[in-house]
Amino acid sequence: MFMPVATQASLKGLTPKQLEDTSCRLCLNNTYHLGLKPGQKTLDAIGGAHRLQSWPHNILTDSGGFQMVSLLKLSRVTEDGVRFLSPHDGSPMLLTPEHSISLQNSIGSDIIMQLDDVIATTSPDHERIKEAMYRSVRWLDRCIAAHEKPESQNLFCIIQGGLDLELRKECCAEMVARDTHGIAIGGLSGGEAKDAFCKVVGTCTQLLPERKPRYVMGVGYPEDILVCVALGADMFDCVWPTRTARFGNAVTVDGVFNLRHANYAYDFRPVEEGCKCTCCRPQEEGGLGITRAYIHHVAAKETAGAHLLSMHNVHYLLELMRKAREAIVEERYPAFLKEYFLKLYAGDKEKYPQWAVDALKGVGIDLLSV
Amino acid sequence: MGSTDAVAAVQVANLPSEMFSIIKTSGTIGPRLGCLRLAGRQVLETPHFLAITSRGVVPHITQDSFAGATGISGVPPDGSSPLRRFIALPEPTLLVLGARRTPPVFAPSANPNTNTSVSICTSVGFRPMKAADYAEGVERLQPDIVVGLGDIPYGRALGAKRIEKATDRNIEWLQSHVKARNDAKAPKGSRSKLFASLPPVSCANQQYYIDTLTQDVAKDVDGLAVYDMVSLEDLPEQLRHLPKLAFTEPSTPHEILRQISLGIDVLTIPFLTAATDAGIALDFTFPANSSEQEAQPKILGVDMWLEDHATSLQPLVDGCKCYACTNHHRAYVQHLLNAKEMLAWVLLQIHNHHTLDLFFAGIRQTLRNGSFEDNVERFAKVYETLLPEKTGQGPRVRGYQYKSEGPGEPKKNAAPFQTFDDKKEKLAESTPPSAEAGAAELEELGFAEKQT
Ligand SMILES: [Zn+2]
Ligand SMILES: [Zn+2]
Repeated sequence: MFMPVATQASLKGLTPKQLEDTSCRLCLNNTYHLGLKPGQKTLDAIGGAHRLQSWPHNILTDSGGFQMVSLLKLSRVTEDGVRFLSPHDGSPMLLTPEHSISLQNSIGSDIIMQLDDVIATTSPDHERIKEAMYRSVRWLDRCIAAHEKPESQNLFCIIQGGLDLELRKECCAEMVARDTHGIAIGGLSGGEAKDAFCKVVGTCTQLLPERKPRYVMGVGYPEDILVCVALGADMFDCVWPTRTARFGNAVTVDGVFNLRHANYAYDFRPVEEGCKCTCCRPQEEGGLGITRAYIHHVAAKETAGAHLLSMHNVHYLLELMRKAREAIVEERYPAFLKEYFLKLYAGDKEKYPQWAVDALKGVGIDLLSV
Repeated sequence: MGSTDAVAAVQVANLPSEMFSIIKTSGTIGPRLGCLRLAGRQVLETPHFLAITSRGVVPHITQDSFAGATGISGVPPDGSSPLRRFIALPEPTLLVLGARRTPPVFAPSANPNTNTSVSICTSVGFRPMKAADYAEGVERLQPDIVVGLGDIPYGRALGAKRIEKATDRNIEWLQSHVKARNDAKAPKGSRSKLFASLPPVSCANQQYYIDTLTQDVAKDVDGLAVYDMVSLEDLPEQLRHLPKLAFTEPSTPHEILRQISLGIDVLTIPFLTAATDAGIALDFTFPANSSEQEAQPKILGVDMWLEDHATSLQPLVDGCKCYACTNHHRAYVQHLLNAKEMLAWVLLQIHNHHTLDLFFAGIRQTLRNGSFEDNVERFAKVYETLLPEKTGQGPRVRGYQYKSEGPGEPKKNAAPFQTFDDKKEKLAESTPPSAEAGAAELEELGFAEKQT
């Protein structure tokens, strides 16, 4: 399953109705942003994020820690929580696991995430990675204790441990023992090598209980997602499809195209041929029948251009996941993967990324075989 | 319109009354209830308004929202927009194509109109556009209504010489356009209607052009495009039956009413998108809601930026049936504005167009039952004269607002915030904590606690 990211309770100009039309039933809001705007008091007064954005479906929120650590220059993680200087007056502040959960309780998201000690997998400081892993486990205990609405909101733990597979295994054991509703694999997609990334995902999924959802955080490139699915992961989120739409990029089965390119000025085909999204579907079938030439014409000049491409891109990823689920149910996922890569690389197997070939070989799928 | 050549000759004489018929009018110069019928389009009762587009879209609104959530009946795209299909305009919607933006762009004196071309503002600066090319292009693009190219000076005082020059050019351009249309021999029924542009001076001041309209091309012109109300003051009898499309930039609903009472049939209303960009939800009805007897004049719009809305679960405007008001509330719009999320302007644009739609429906209703004048008077008493002042920030400047003034112009949008480490897409996507969020405020938000 893929979850589009509606950072501040809206997905890049799409109305919730339009988001629903892309078949999205679970989207992600960022705790950090909602905590700043509109803030906890307002959320309490309104009755949570579902009411704020009139979204009748599911919402997942992150803990806010990731943004905190990444966006604020002078943040420092201590046992209490994340210390940082107020961006306005420089006074010291502290975000604790308890704060994060309390805020997510106010948001009322269906899935909430523990506050974890986020550290880049590329960090050379092994001791620090180890410390972060153990601290994340301790913080999970504090999050579970602070969680006021376990009956209505599902808490997910976040497996840490960098690229060290032993640390990851230990973290899995500790966290699985704490029996949260679902399990996330965190700290990835931060620029590590793809094969190392796959090893971490594969190692964790083998140790996780069958019947709980597994969420690989921040992964949104179609290839990465499909390989992770083969490795046993269930949920993904990424801002990429909507972010890339802003730059005029269309995500399609044949790869990513920048419609701002002059080539498309007179290309009157739909953004993606055969696509059933509102943007691409012909007018005879109740769609808009938007052409590449039109997107070229409005891209970066009118906000509606980005909205149209966002609709298509989000629909593309949700549809890709639907097809993947269908293939799994029909027990033909390996064939589905082969077909996908063949199309994406226009039949040129030489171009297949080695990491994907290797990772899939590890689970018994030979991408290169016919 | 008829579809065979056999009856076309007969129809020419009746053409205006067929395409446009006046249902009710109260005098020679006065408000009128009319009906605009164009092949394949929804019948447009007038007075009405056209939504203004930029690059073929109503700013902020994607085409599916446009069809599903607004009652917009007609749009004049900007000069750069081609085919209906290209811009994915719903079939029933009237499409009007003109060369000039609404509101227009002031052209620097270095880029004057000439005897054969007008200066237009493009995405690569001012460029001349030949009158002949325009006439050819618009005929190919087949909108429902073509606004004939006019030499319509803007933003400068008009001397007698300049008016004379404009008059000569307008005669020449209109006659050439009409000739090209007649030479093309396209079946009349399938052809765009031609509206002639009236320069923004009285008719007496452009007598030769008016003579052309009433004599030479009388049967070839289907309507008038009006740029200043002054042209209507002495409009000759022979032109009064024509539908009048106004590009007059009314700045308030009161001004709309005044223009309608002077005989305008269809208007374009730039204050609509301006209100949206300012975060204002328009709030007025016609006739003014009669149950209320208020001491203070009522406001014409609600400023959604105001802090008071932060926890308000009320619709933008009570009782409004638009998509935004029936699905969302003030708290959300206020949050979206604060967070600079594009959806804020999407929802406001939907609501504001809906408000105008009802406003015009009310105008037509009172014209039908004869209470228009009384209600205009009442409207002036009940409502404030001006729209509320803008307090918040608008969206980033986009195509529809963008006016290139040549090299060296200041940047339109401040550079977005640079993250400390923008390697990750996710971070680039995030907004940093707002500069106005102080520690105390963060603590109050429950976001974190202040350390001592
Ligand atoms: Zn599509
Ligand atoms: Zn409304």
